[in-house]
Amino acid sequence: MSTSVLQRIASGDSAAVRECIDQFGPLVWSIARRLSRTPADAEDATQEIFLDIWRSAGRFDAAQGSDKIFIAMIARRRLIDRLRKTSAEPPMDPVEVLETVAWADPGTACETALEAEQATRALAELRPEQRQVLELGLLHGLSQTEIAARLSMPLGTVKSFMRRGLIKVREFMNVDAERVSARI
Amino acid sequence: MSDTRPQGQPDEAMVDLLVKQVTEGLSPAEQRALDVMDSEIASAYLRDLERAAAAVTLAGSSGAEALPADLAGRVAQQAAEHFAAVSNVADLSEARTAATERARVQPSTAPGQSPEPFATRGRATRYGGYGWLAAAACLVLAIFGWERSPPPLPPVAVVEPAPVIVPPPAQPAPPTAAEERAALLAKTDSLKIPLGATKDPAAAGVTGDVVWDPVTQRGFLHFAGLAANDPATHQYQIWIFDAGRDKRYPVDGGVFDVPANAGEVIIPIRAALMVRKPAAFAVTLEKPGGVVVSGREHVIVLGATT
Repeated sequence: MSTSVLQRIASGDSAAVRECIDQFGPLVWSIARRLSRTPADAEDATQEIFLDIWRSAGRFDAAQGSDKIFIAMIARRRLIDRLRKTSAEPPMDPVEVLETVAWADPGTACETALEAEQATRALAELRPEQRQVLELGLLHGLSQTEIAARLSMPLGTVKSFMRRGLIKVREFMNVDAERVSARI
Repeated sequence: MSDTRPQGQPDEAMVDLLVKQVTEGLSPAEQRALDVMDSEIASAYLRDLERAAAAVTLAGSSGAEALPADLAGRVAQQAAEHFAAVSNVADLSEARTAATERARVQPSTAPGQSPEPFATRGRATRYGGYGWLAAAACLVLAIFGWERSPPPLPPVAVVEPAPVIVPPPAQPAPPTAAEERAALLAKTDSLKIPLGATKDPAAAGVTGDVVWDPVTQRGFLHFAGLAANDPATHQYQIWIFDAGRDKRYPVDGGVFDVPANAGEVIIPIRAALMVRKPAAFAVTLEKPGGVVVSGREHVIVLGATT
């Protein structure tokens, strides 16, 4: 198995910084744009996320998941922290853009990441309204209260859909992890 | 109420808080509620939920657009500065360690003989990578600057336009607490409960009521005659008793202050947890910032749904 770019950064590989920006810049930028209130916020957030990546590269463990999931987790943590510190305005992506969300196709794990494929398969088992709640919350950064208002749905239902959806994805990921470890 | 969940599994309240932490972050009151729960279970489950949320994010991020060139340049510059700083810290640490070890070794070193260099060789190798990385990051910066800088714009005549003042679009004023409370009172499915003063000295002459919408989980307290508090020593804290939870641990509804000569006050309720069956509302006087579990020494008002 080839060494991850994060492991190479941690070990002082000179070419890894450039590769990391090239390889993961689009992913970080895409997440930052969706979960930021303004384009300027998204740019600041992107810089902060990459700083977190440089600081955390040494903690990456390939046995725990792909480098993409590691970076997406770092990005989400930073962006949620920023959202909580700023005002109550919604993120900049209007809900009308929902149709433009491009879900990964199951079976394209090489292009995306194994975890994305697992999530896509889990999402396919959810009811459309459950999927919509996850999409609004996780991809567009709307709070549960905002989702309830937009979908005219009781807050309790939104909470329940979000909880069950995440648990479903978690189950798919854990089952796959058990299969992998059983094969080893 | 017996707890039938498997050992090591989070309860529903913890899962609700962790899901909120992963999707939108927690308020201080919610964080306080999570802090008193089992931290080992919470951190393990939090990591799983973070992975799940990140996986959904990845699944919805295919076909992501490229990082803008100028931003990529700034990221590269920041990387160069970061690794240079790390390298300097490592060098400084290295120098201090070496100096300490030299001081320790020197008494037993014969005059004219160099101290043994192998004691620090391992660390030098370990930190040496950062020096290379800092240099490489500078090189990356140079390459990004070379490859990604936009071509210079052709010279153009600068015409100073006459300033045009465009008035900002009129924003509707957000509703006041009184308006929001009135809207909740008008809803047929909201709960309206009178609040009764207790025998606590601070409760003398207090009247009030609460309106609560179980669908949106929002509500307001309304008081007249509630004494002003000194926020430096005490704050009022709202509690919601949920029939579905242990009554020893009501849900924290947030803290508030009453200024001097306030007359009537309307206080929004900020429930830290989902309230499924509100059974009673109460206000206590607590230390500044509120408490996780009230000692109930000063219960000021109380109102039950039945």
